[in-house]
Amino acid sequence: MTTDFLVLDAGTIFARTRSQGVADQPDFEFLDIYSLGEADLSPYKCLVVTGFSDQDYLYDMRHIIREFLDDRKVVIYCGNLVTDWLPGGKPFIAKDIKRFSDYRVKKVSDHPIFRGVEEDDMTLKKGVAGFFARGHHPVPEGGEVLLTLNEGEPITYIDRSSTNGTILAHVGFDLFGYMQTDEKKSTDCISMQLRNWVLEEYEALQKGLVAS
Amino acid sequence: MRKIGVLYGGSSQHSRTYKTGEFAKHIHRLIPIREFAEADLDSLDVLLIPSQTHLKLLEANVGKIKAFAESGRIVVTFGPQGFDWLPEHNWEFRPTNFWWWLEKDADSGLALPGHEHDLFQNYLTLEDATWHQHGVYWPMEGCETLVATKDGGSVMYIDKVNTKGIWINTTLDPDYHYGSYFMPATESFLRGFLPWLEEGKI
Repeated sequence: MTTDFLVLDAGTIFARTRSQGVADQPDFEFLDIYSLGEADLSPYKCLVVTGFSDQDYLYDMRHIIREFLDDRKVVIYCGNLVTDWLPGGKPFIAKDIKRFSDYRVKKVSDHPIFRGVEEDDMTLKKGVAGFFARGHHPVPEGGEVLLTLNEGEPITYIDRSSTNGTILAHVGFDLFGYMQTDEKKSTDCISMQLRNWVLEEYEALQKGLVAS
Repeated sequence: MRKIGVLYGGSSQHSRTYKTGEFAKHIHRLIPIREFAEADLDSLDVLLIPSQTHLKLLEANVGKIKAFAESGRIVVTFGPQGFDWLPEHNWEFRPTNFWWWLEKDADSGLALPGHEHDLFQNYLTLEDATWHQHGVYWPMEGCETLVATKDGGSVMYIDKVNTKGIWINTTLDPDYHYGSYFMPATESFLRGFLPWLEEGKI
């Protein structure tokens, strides 16, 4: 099996514990974030960037990320954007929470990444809301919104317009983090469905079937 | 007024807490962790090591941080640490109960042996330091524990005995949670803790 996915290791204690399930996958490799400048990214189909990453460093390395995307590949970012390193990305806007229901997650479409995943399972963890998303990123022009908060704020989008590749940006925890969960909830299937979607998206990009 | 420098990791959590949010005004200098090894720390009185710091770069700079303390200055560490590096701290990992506040007759399990300390007389309450812990320290005799678990484990302590300087070590991670827009108590904590660090009696 090829190692299709390269995860940038943010190097912090929580970044490591939350990646344990991913580390067991044979098609995922890890690279210390500060080695990105010297890395050969040509073997990989997808670059995964998590929410603990040094975004000042990513900004310095933004040309590498841009080139990776322009090779018709996939970048997945899960976290809050605070510097301008992701093509098309806009700064994170926190939700002004007034009531419990403000954290409610809604599916905009029946997208394969979230197929079969219940909105309540994304909204609630042990009956408490707010783990999945606490704000949003404005969507780049032409972006496809997958999930929103209760007032329509986009929390997960796909951007095929800003580069020759495909970006999936999500404001919450790493969507590959569900590989280690045993919560017995419908969210358990997100990571594998995301993985499968990335591989299909990559094939379509390489065949020129994705219009940018 | 003490000048506080932060070992800055550039994450969204560090950005909100130390660079762009209401607490940035307490920070004299952000030192990017990539540049820390070469950084001149002479202008600083306090060096703050945030939670969720890049472990390999932290490990590579432990000697420099300890030298800062040995120069008679103050080092602050937020938890949890990814490896044992604090002077004689005797870390005990404990599984985190994130959910104690949902339980019947909820009890955080915390005590305040430092209730007479300036930090808790004039800047913070125990409630401000109450969310969850990732473990406890068992510091050496002579260290002063301010916040403890009810069985005596240290959640926050001041160490003036192991170096020529002062270490303020806590297993709490207020910067990570505030930076994640998570847990209101962490906001109260930083509103008291950072002004105390600048001007309080340590």
